[in-house]
Amino acid sequence: MKSNRLAAGLGAAFVLTASVSTAALAQAPVCSAPVKVLAQPRDGLTLLEDSKDEFKKLSGAGFQIDYLNENDRRAKSRADASTVGNYNVYYVDEANVALFASSGWIAPLADYYPAEYDFADFDPGRQKVATYDGKVWFAPLTGGGDLMVYRKDVLEAAGIQPPKTLDELIADVAKLNDPDKGMYGIALRGARGSGANVWRWMPFFKAYGGKWFDGDKPAFNSDAAVKATETYLKLFKDSAPGTQTGSWDESTGAFLSGQVAILVESTPLSGMAVDPKTSQVVGKVGFLPPPAPLPGGGYGHGLAIGTKANADDASKKCAGLFIAWATSKENEKRRLDAHQFGELNRTSILSSKEFADIYGADLGQALADTGKVTAVNFWQDPRWPDLGDRWGIILEELVTGTRTDIKGGLSELESYANELVKKK
Amino acid sequence: MRRRSSLPVTFLVPTLAILLVLSMVPTLYAIVIALQNRELSAPGYTWVWFSNFADLFVDRRFLNAVWVSVKWEIVTVVATMVVAIGLGVLMFEVAAPRLRNIYCLLFIIPVLLPRVSAAFVWKFAYHPLYGIATYPYRLITGGLIFDPLSKASTALFAVASVDVWQWGLFFAVIVLKLLETLPPQPIEAARLDHAKRWQIHAYVTLPMLKAPLISLMFVKMIESLRSFDLIYVMTRGGPGVATETLDMYAFSQGFIESGKVSYASAMAVLMMIATVITFTFLWKRVQA
Repeated sequence: MKSNRLAAGLGAAFVLTASVSTAALAQAPVCSAPVKVLAQPRDGLTLLEDSKDEFKKLSGAGFQIDYLNENDRRAKSRADASTVGNYNVYYVDEANVALFASSGWIAPLADYYPAEYDFADFDPGRQKVATYDGKVWFAPLTGGGDLMVYRKDVLEAAGIQPPKTLDELIADVAKLNDPDKGMYGIALRGARGSGANVWRWMPFFKAYGGKWFDGDKPAFNSDAAVKATETYLKLFKDSAPGTQTGSWDESTGAFLSGQVAILVESTPLSGMAVDPKTSQVVGKVGFLPPPAPLPGGGYGHGLAIGTKANADDASKKCAGLFIAWATSKENEKRRLDAHQFGELNRTSILSSKEFADIYGADLGQALADTGKVTAVNFWQDPRWPDLGDRWGIILEELVTGTRTDIKGGLSELESYANELVKKK
Repeated sequence: MRRRSSLPVTFLVPTLAILLVLSMVPTLYAIVIALQNRELSAPGYTWVWFSNFADLFVDRRFLNAVWVSVKWEIVTVVATMVVAIGLGVLMFEVAAPRLRNIYCLLFIIPVLLPRVSAAFVWKFAYHPLYGIATYPYRLITGGLIFDPLSKASTALFAVASVDVWQWGLFFAVIVLKLLETLPPQPIEAARLDHAKRWQIHAYVTLPMLKAPLISLMFVKMIESLRSFDLIYVMTRGGPGVATETLDMYAFSQGFIESGKVSYASAMAVLMMIATVITFTFLWKRVQA
């Protein structure tokens, strides 16, 4: 009897110990070390840093984000991912996701993205941009297409209707350009880079029927590219000062400070234009899709799991959890509450009543309309940054007048593209 | 006796060994990589020997970068030395000792600023609409726009002016301190011979300071070779390739645009050879 009691006691103790250790195992922290992230500055990420404790509670470790501006972030992440691999999470974008994925520098996200964070809730367009070779590689932090943003008061005073076609845009920009009154017709991007001047030039290239490659043969050295470049240079004559060697910051800065009549830019500008904290033209701004036949430049930036710093599955799970948490509905709701328009990516947030209350019906309608003309304008290939950046330099030379032969520039790019194709 | 002879070896061998490892290993590695065709996006490579070097001599951006680097070196070194000697002599002649100390303090501040911060401050100062450096032009011309960083003819000089602002003022302080250390007798003698002020400096003080001034010039020449951060922040090598120096083009090829580390290493090796030859030649000329 005594031995039976002892056996029962031991059995109970074993069951208790087993269940306690199972519970402890279930609550074992996912992360054993802080997650290191290399990113470019985003309001959403700055806001995320306020909730560090929340992530620590969830995962068992904190996180550290290093910020570099877009071009530097691209250069640094490329150098880091291909060599030492210091970062667990990389900020990638539509232009370099193919390179990172095909080089094995990032891991497929779906394998490590916890199901409860509902990836399918992301805007379908952004999901498409995050997909390469049939796999999802990043969770979106920002994305969208282009909108034509214009000054209603300036156009009304000049008796001009918002342009609906590219020809109307060209004519209106020339009419609205009045430097003596501190008003410039348009603001474009002149600074080199596949994500800078080339990004704004590509809609013109596509609008005139240009295409990058025909199979493996470069097809961009065409009348379409010449016409697109001529149009771009013509419009640049009426572009705000500082934009000739500037990019997003300079062109949107000129508009938000009230010096530009019309510009076609990526969708986050519209949120900034209606925010009194960032805009001096609140209440004077209208939104429409880009004038036909300009397609919008579809883009998406987000967070991906680095492979070198996350050598084992446990580290990848930790990085996956961080990405899922950072892009979760809860965090996106916080961004909406902070009026961070450009940081919103989930359909549940974009179609919410709170979103409509904050940004109004006009902008919602413009976003819906521009979605129909948003396209992928760049060459979807790992070699795109290489080719795009090379064209960026030639285009900057043309914009600043250090070279004038458009055809010569395109021929130079074609020779370079042929070398790239040969190396494949 | 044996003890005395082993002392230099004891001190020299470890330091020389460390120096050799630190300087030779990366250098040899760069040379080896330059003979291959390594790219960041591809793990494999083959030996291409001197093909990267041959490609460089038909690459218009490389040839442009060589020319820009030479211009940058000449402009920044000459302007720095002119400003340093001019201001140093001016302070020596005009300012009272107490005022000199205040000037010295003020003139040292720019060089204490991190290069990247100085570049950002001046980039904004050169902004065509809001910049304080372009304000006088807008004022005089009634609002006309001058954007020095987006014009090929002015961009290099605009960036060089920041370099001179940092180093020219700092060197002016050094020149002043050097002038103050000179013995007064030769200057007194020249004054008694009715020499004018400029003649005293041209024929007495500056020739007496020839050796330290040449050393300063060499320091500036080496420093000017490392202006990557300043140019990168202010123009990124633009407009177009107007301010793209060799180090910037090498970085661009290695990390920003193509990931061609072998091609970038070939540039670095050529730069190293050119620098060693130039400095040896100049050093020997100066010694002679």
